[in-house]
Amino acid sequence: MEPKVKIKLQKGFSHVGLIIASAFFIVPFIWMVSTSLKPLTQVFSFPPEWIPKPFQWSNYLDAMEYIPFFTYLDNTMVITLLSTFGVVLSCPLVAYSFAKLEWKGRNVLFFITIAVMMIPGQVTMIPLFLIFNKIGWVGTNLPLIVPSFFGVPFYIFLLRQFFLGLPDTLRDAAKIDGASEFRIYWQIMLPLAKPAVLAVGLFQFMASWTDFIGPLLYLTDETQYTLSLGLQQFQTQMGTEWGLMMAVSTMMTVPIIILFFFLQKTFIKGIKFSGIK
Amino acid sequence: MKIRGKKVGIFILALFLIFSLVLTACSPEESSSGGKEGTTEITFWHDATDIGLQALKKMVEAFEEKNPDIKVKMVYTEASEGADQKLLTAVAGGNPPDVALFDRFKVGSWAAQDALTDLTDMAAEDGITEDIYYPYAWEEANYKGKLYGLPYTTDSRMLYYNKDHFKAAGLDPENPPKTTQELEAAAEKLTKKNGNRFKQIGFIPWYGQGWLYGWGWSFGGEFYNKETGEVTANDPKIVEALTWMADVAQKFDVEDIAGFESSAGSGAMDPFISGQISMKVDGNWAISAIEKYKPDLNYGVTPIPTPTGTDFTTWSGGHAVIIPKGAKNVEAAWEFVKFFGTEEGQEVYFAELPGDLSVIPTVNEKLGRSDNPMLKKFIDILPNSHSRPVITEGQLMWNELVDARENTVRGKGTAQENLDKATKAVNKALEKYK
Amino acid sequence: MAEVTKGTRVQQPVIVKRKMLSTKSNLHGWLFASPWIIGLLVFFAFPLIASIYFSFTSYSILQPGEFVGSKNYQDLFKDDLFWTSIYNTIYFTIIFVPLGIIFGVSLAMLLNMKIKGMGIYRTIFFLPTLVPHVALAVLWMWLLNPGFGLVNGLLDVVGLQGPNWLGSEAWSKPSLILMSLWGIGQSVIIYLAGLNDIPEEFYEAAEVDGANWWQKTRHVTLPLLTPVIFFNLVMGAIGAFQQFTLPYTMTQGQGTPANSLTFYVMHLYDNAFKFFRMGYASAMAWILFIIIMSLTALIFMTSNRWVHYQGK
Repeated sequence: MEPKVKIKLQKGFSHVGLIIASAFFIVPFIWMVSTSLKPLTQVFSFPPEWIPKPFQWSNYLDAMEYIPFFTYLDNTMVITLLSTFGVVLSCPLVAYSFAKLEWKGRNVLFFITIAVMMIPGQVTMIPLFLIFNKIGWVGTNLPLIVPSFFGVPFYIFLLRQFFLGLPDTLRDAAKIDGASEFRIYWQIMLPLAKPAVLAVGLFQFMASWTDFIGPLLYLTDETQYTLSLGLQQFQTQMGTEWGLMMAVSTMMTVPIIILFFFLQKTFIKGIKFSGIK
Repeated sequence: MKIRGKKVGIFILALFLIFSLVLTACSPEESSSGGKEGTTEITFWHDATDIGLQALKKMVEAFEEKNPDIKVKMVYTEASEGADQKLLTAVAGGNPPDVALFDRFKVGSWAAQDALTDLTDMAAEDGITEDIYYPYAWEEANYKGKLYGLPYTTDSRMLYYNKDHFKAAGLDPENPPKTTQELEAAAEKLTKKNGNRFKQIGFIPWYGQGWLYGWGWSFGGEFYNKETGEVTANDPKIVEALTWMADVAQKFDVEDIAGFESSAGSGAMDPFISGQISMKVDGNWAISAIEKYKPDLNYGVTPIPTPTGTDFTTWSGGHAVIIPKGAKNVEAAWEFVKFFGTEEGQEVYFAELPGDLSVIPTVNEKLGRSDNPMLKKFIDILPNSHSRPVITEGQLMWNELVDARENTVRGKGTAQENLDKATKAVNKALEKYK
Repeated sequence: MAEVTKGTRVQQPVIVKRKMLSTKSNLHGWLFASPWIIGLLVFFAFPLIASIYFSFTSYSILQPGEFVGSKNYQDLFKDDLFWTSIYNTIYFTIIFVPLGIIFGVSLAMLLNMKIKGMGIYRTIFFLPTLVPHVALAVLWMWLLNPGFGLVNGLLDVVGLQGPNWLGSEAWSKPSLILMSLWGIGQSVIIYLAGLNDIPEEFYEAAEVDGANWWQKTRHVTLPLLTPVIFFNLVMGAIGAFQQFTLPYTMTQGQGTPANSLTFYVMHLYDNAFKFFRMGYASAMAWILFIIIMSLTALIFMTSNRWVHYQGK
């Protein structure tokens, strides 16, 4: 077979495979969007229907009136952006020290880092609440933002794995040139780890964007509430307002999809090192 | 992007600078209690949305009009586990709201944990006694002879049946089953099965509000012995009830029923509304749901059948308005609790919620609740209603009963064995409070 | 623990100038790690130590309780539901974690090809992780409905009679595993980032040697992806053992049918927040810690045999 034909055939097969698999993965999203446009009586019609009839666009407007959508959006943005910034700032730094620097106590501390993730948050939630209560942060969004500036174990571990994969040759070369440790990190290693750092940023963005229990426990004023708390308000005594709830869910999801769509390109481009053999 | 940060120190410094910036940017607002001069602001945590919220707002307005020196700040706190967790952490942190809405069922356990303010003296001073309430509702707001909240809502459970299905199956729609035997016979006639799938299912005893509590009482059992302070979930009558439930399950194949159930939900998704199930036990709120989602449904309600066809009963839950321990403005909070928990507030509140029942019989009368023929049946049975025992381990008891039911109908042990186990577990847990 | 520590040290790139592990290098290490050290002390130390202490008391959140020695731990071993929940949790972990890795790596490799429209494919595979849990739970109950659900409908087409899925004790956990596999978008991203860290040169070199697709995968891609697989294995196990939100939402906390979906942390949560037994729940947490710790230690100990860091 001609190599060109072979490649074309391969690509064709890949598309078919990808489309079949995608069909499976896109179902929840389609369902969410379709529900967001349905009148309530159609949401659970029997047998199920995928296409709303009629398309009830007013669900979106109604949903934004049902909860103070823009207030919640603002609050969610503040928390999400600041905590994502905090994570991106602190985690690579710490991860780098675990991966590339040699220091006393490093391995012990690394194991503590892994170990703290093994205790379910349900039992540490109360003592943690008491700490924040003591310093007067309950009723503010600080407990949802500040800790991310001090590192999150999951991300530290993840980034450590990536830094470990980076060659030492670059670092050694820069050292010989007399670059400071911080400069090596900031100008050489950090840019090399960009895909992983972006992934971590994305994860934190999503986690913070959809966090429910944190805002529920720490925010005490409705004007501070976030969108995920808003979602709960569609569950009424008489059952859930699915159409409105999914309208808000869709609106919450779209920014992340857009963010993801643009970020994923950096995964494709990746960083290609030269000079390692 | 290229910052010439030569020293680590600079970076760390920047980090702290940003950190302190964040701190100042989001620093907490000054404590909100106080407000305008001479007025007290009380914080009120609720779980209401939609029309429930409208009703609550009306009631709060009426209260504020009457008490211009008190301002109520309403805060929505989710409706289920989340709200409990929020209240629990807030009480533990010594920073609770002044007033909260609370499932009466949990009064016993929270009071035993010293999480609720004792209202006995304040109620006595203001002359609020059990006389105006349904007896079970008042009882549920008390723990060890002390009052911990004023009840406001109640409900009851009945058998709903689809009249069209009855006609189609050759049953008399105006003469619904009275005894459990009749119920079983009707269920058989109404069930249409296709392989292991149900096209239509006659009746599932535990579906909807068919909890073992209800069936236990309908069979004449008692769950709690007040004298000994022990639970008696293995009362022979309750064992009988559970055995009956398991028999029905076997008849229609429990796995198939569970498959059916696993997809059933509330609201418009309710299989009774969609016509997949012909009879179900459910609460009065289901009337409003039917009105909302399928107003033309041809259905009736009747008391839950008993083995003898007499002594019909039901059980009721509902909410209370409470003052958590550690509340800052107990006096103002009590004014609010009192307003909401007695006729005045109740009338304003329930006027907005035509499908809901007050715990005060005179309020239901005044608002003409019995004019609705469906709702009337739910009200008429209230004087004979039961409520779940006020014990410190109410939630454990609930879970144990659910487990016992689930295991028995699935053939994992007999009713007797499973209820013995449940009784033992709860009594053991109760010991530590003695 | 000691052995585990040794295990990782072996993996570390051996720095040429070992003797240079000087005060300066120590200082840098500590400085770089300082935010996290502060974070650990401020946000983690007290809650963790407190929970160890609570596990020996009858603490109820609202009441400090009394010191009860090892009673909570002893009671646990007599608690039937505790054993049921351990069984369910281990069942889930053992099946889900390996499946998650196999599917995750395969998907990532599929999504790493250079073909048109890849951005859209990647986005689609990531979508399920964005749909809120409440919605996911309902959607799945709908899809898996034995009567009219899409899944059994498809099985019908190929002539199979589908099971009762979430209504059946035997099928409830496989159903949950299926649902969870839907949400592996996050680990796929991690694998993708890992794949892109593999230098093109390695493939070029392999091609010069005449390697076919499978050989390239076997000898270049997989070995160099091991640091990331290792991460997902450890985190997958930790996460699977703490499975909570989806089954709790779906079963309204009851773990139905017949407790076949009662997972460890669900039982822990009920004790902590519903039965006022935070002491007992804390004891559960530390037993879970021991279980996960042993497993993680095992993974770490074997890791220097199969994890390859390019940095070497």
